[in-house]
Amino acid sequence: MSLIKKPGGKTIEVVKNLPRITLANLRPNPGAKTLEKRRGRGMHGGNRSGWGHKGERQRCNRPRLGFEGGQTPFYLVIPKYGYNANHSRQPQYPPLSLRRLQYLIDLGRIDPSQPIDLTQLVNGRGVEIQPQKRDYGVQLVDEGADIFCAKVNLEVQAASEKAIAAVERNGGVITTSYYDPRSLQILIKPVPFFMPGEPIPKRLFPGEDLLPYYTDANNRGYLADPDKIQTARMDLAKKYGYSIPDISKDTLFEMLVQRKNPRHIFFGLSPGWVVNMADKKILKPTDDKVLQYYGS
Amino acid sequence: MSASVRSMSLTFCRAARVAFRAFNPATRPLSTGYCLRTEIRPAGGSRDIIESTEEFRFVERLIPPSRIPAPPKHDGPAPSGWTPPSDTPPSLPYMIRRSRMHNVPVYSDIKHGNQHSTLIRKIEGDIWALNKEVKEFLLGLTGKDPPTQVNEITGSIRVKGQFDKELKDWLLNKGF
Repeated sequence: MSLIKKPGGKTIEVVKNLPRITLANLRPNPGAKTLEKRRGRGMHGGNRSGWGHKGERQRCNRPRLGFEGGQTPFYLVIPKYGYNANHSRQPQYPPLSLRRLQYLIDLGRIDPSQPIDLTQLVNGRGVEIQPQKRDYGVQLVDEGADIFCAKVNLEVQAASEKAIAAVERNGGVITTSYYDPRSLQILIKPVPFFMPGEPIPKRLFPGEDLLPYYTDANNRGYLADPDKIQTARMDLAKKYGYSIPDISKDTLFEMLVQRKNPRHIFFGLSPGWVVNMADKKILKPTDDKVLQYYGS
Repeated sequence: MSASVRSMSLTFCRAARVAFRAFNPATRPLSTGYCLRTEIRPAGGSRDIIESTEEFRFVERLIPPSRIPAPPKHDGPAPSGWTPPSDTPPSLPYMIRRSRMHNVPVYSDIKHGNQHSTLIRKIEGDIWALNKEVKEFLLGLTGKDPPTQVNEITGSIRVKGQFDKELKDWLLNKGF
């Protein structure tokens, strides 16, 4: 049989013999288009044109969707729970990527030869923290971990594992510490705190929920056991496959090992002291009870 | 629950004691900065306060700088990708200054969620020559001639489309 199959089949023969397609020959499939409702074209002239009799309906002044005439609407009666419960009171930690930190160091806005804590980050305009908006500090994020190559003594409020590994791989030291909201406000803006001449308060310890985080050596918490932190450093190095550089032989070893007292907000300034910015002096109390309170 | 809290507080006390042992001046006679270094007793005779100027250097560290610091010298691009401008400005009829924060002034903009444009600012010299070169570069890149708007008074060019990365690299290669 010599039946040659043509592409398009028989339809193409039919279409070739039909008249040319023009604007006059076009028509949608039946049922594809529905005519829109046009008000006011009814059999009896329209009158109210389908808008009803007086009131908000005719005057196009209905209240918003969900309004129930003053009764507490359904979408407000049902409370949020679980993940969304107390969402506006949840602590927030604005992120700081390692890439941004490297950029700040490269441009000289942050000095890696001094310990880097939140005050230095804010002074270098690297991050913006708003304690009044439930920010509890900054979290170190591992974006840019492969580019990061600075040796720093870093203090943040939270850090991801990969970020900790990136900092320690370059011979740096990273600590996570807690600042209660009042201490955080003083930490990010020390000068407006010192100006009125209030004594530096002591930093409070974390609450029940955050305490396990800051006593864990894997998070390099400031309340964790230093020996456990050493073992955690070595475990992390094994996990990510790098060798820990020996920082005790480093020229900046003293700076790298410097850590804040858990009750102090700043390096070198004890709670209870008053800073006199105008005369460049520090006033220290001598009363026993006061010293006992601030020393506890 | 209470048992776990108690155990947590016990571990915390142990950890705090460990931390305090490290920082307590009594156990670390060579502690840096925690001993009371004195003393300038005021002449008025009040014995309740000790004045000191020794630790003020810690306060000076906390004062934020009021000027943007000059970036340190780098040979070529820095590890973060930031490239300093070339020491001699390129011999072209136009010049593009760096921004206050020492970056190339190319910015991308979106309006109404779908209108993308790129802005090149701080242009000095022959803007029209730069406009021509930008159009040629983007024609080679995309195959289309993008509409541009030249503002001679402010020294800026606005290009339709989002080309901020490409234009930044192109200008860096030129040495701006």
